[in-house]
Amino acid sequence: MLDFHTHPLLVRELFEREPDLARIARDVFFIRNHPQPLRTFLLELDVAGLERAVVLPIDARTSRGCQICSNELIAELCRMSDRFVGFASVDPHRKSAAKDLEQAVKKLKLRGLKLSPPTQEFLPNDRKAYPIYEAAQALKIPVLFHAGMSWEPKAKCSFGQPLLLEDVAFDFPEMNLVIAHLGWPWVLESVMLALKYPNVYLDTSCLYFDNPQDFLAFALTRQVPLSAVEKSLRHKLVFGSNYPRVEIKNMAAAVRSLGLSQECLELIFAGNGRKLLGEAG
Amino acid sequence: MKIHLAQLEIQTTQDKQLLDITPEVERVVKESKVQQGMVYVLTLHTSSGILVTEGLDCLAKDVLKHLEAAAPDQGDYFHNRYLDIDGRVAFNAGAHLQSILTGYNAFFPVDQGKIIKGSRQRIFFAEFDGPLCRTYCVQVMGEGK
Repeated sequence: MLDFHTHPLLVRELFEREPDLARIARDVFFIRNHPQPLRTFLLELDVAGLERAVVLPIDARTSRGCQICSNELIAELCRMSDRFVGFASVDPHRKSAAKDLEQAVKKLKLRGLKLSPPTQEFLPNDRKAYPIYEAAQALKIPVLFHAGMSWEPKAKCSFGQPLLLEDVAFDFPEMNLVIAHLGWPWVLESVMLALKYPNVYLDTSCLYFDNPQDFLAFALTRQVPLSAVEKSLRHKLVFGSNYPRVEIKNMAAAVRSLGLSQECLELIFAGNGRKLLGEAG
Repeated sequence: MKIHLAQLEIQTTQDKQLLDITPEVERVVKESKVQQGMVYVLTLHTSSGILVTEGLDCLAKDVLKHLEAAAPDQGDYFHNRYLDIDGRVAFNAGAHLQSILTGYNAFFPVDQGKIIKGSRQRIFFAEFDGPLCRTYCVQVMGEGK
């Protein structure tokens, strides 16, 4: 059981290693809760009934002058607990981006790529980013894209339009990509891409008003009928919480409350994520 | 008059949980060397509480179950909205209400350096939105050696 979408931005142990991370988390990523010991993160997983979490950085050196967790810090976190699966991030504006990704995967043993077009201020179908996708495809790693609304005050949501990912899915058919947050509010567009393209997945980390249970029910039973998830998207949806913007326990409970079959839930919480990480047998 | 303050961290491990902090409070009273006075225990969080009850697992379950029934976690709350002070959607009004029902403090007299309390009374830190690393205060005030 796996949480495919977490940000290790309130972990005290990481603040001790990288003091500026506290400011970056507060002022750039815009998460304002108090830092917690690493143990709280692991207990969150326990309470949610999950074993592991994908931990995500964002390399925003050109757009924001900082890394919202560096690849090195992610690798260090993964050394602190084998319950973490580390992803890399690279700055699409840097010429070395593709090479940086290759190094992060080969040297730091990171297992996927996180890109956030609204934070990094790039259009995901810009040909400038294609060398990154070529590298990801060659490395056989999944790419998780922030899509849809962003809470960060300086981030323009238009960079997160899921339809911008169609060119990427089309041009890199061997590269699996995950549209985070269901691409909300463009849920139908995101679902369309996941239905059409075998290499497009969605994650559940979606909360913009109300509470996780009511919001997810709105997105996955009213914006999209639940039967579509059960029948057509069961192999294309992975569980993600977006912790610490949402507690893992609350998003997990929300997904479990939707009314999906046990078989479908096992795919969302385990099978699909394992497949994306190349672990499925 | 002596005034002794201790800020203590406690790691909760469950979503909702009562943790017996009586030994920690007794230790702070002893450290304070206050002989005659008062001890106050206060949580510093609005989704947790301090309560005094008997130290029985069955009772702890009842307390948590009925607090949740009185203030359900899932409810039609105005608090369910984006809060820019946190950078996230707030949806834990139930935990806040459970905290209000519980209260955020407890106090006891101190006599001859010991807390005066009933033989069945235990002091609990009540978690309503865990797991989290929490902080509570124990302040001892009075005449001492």
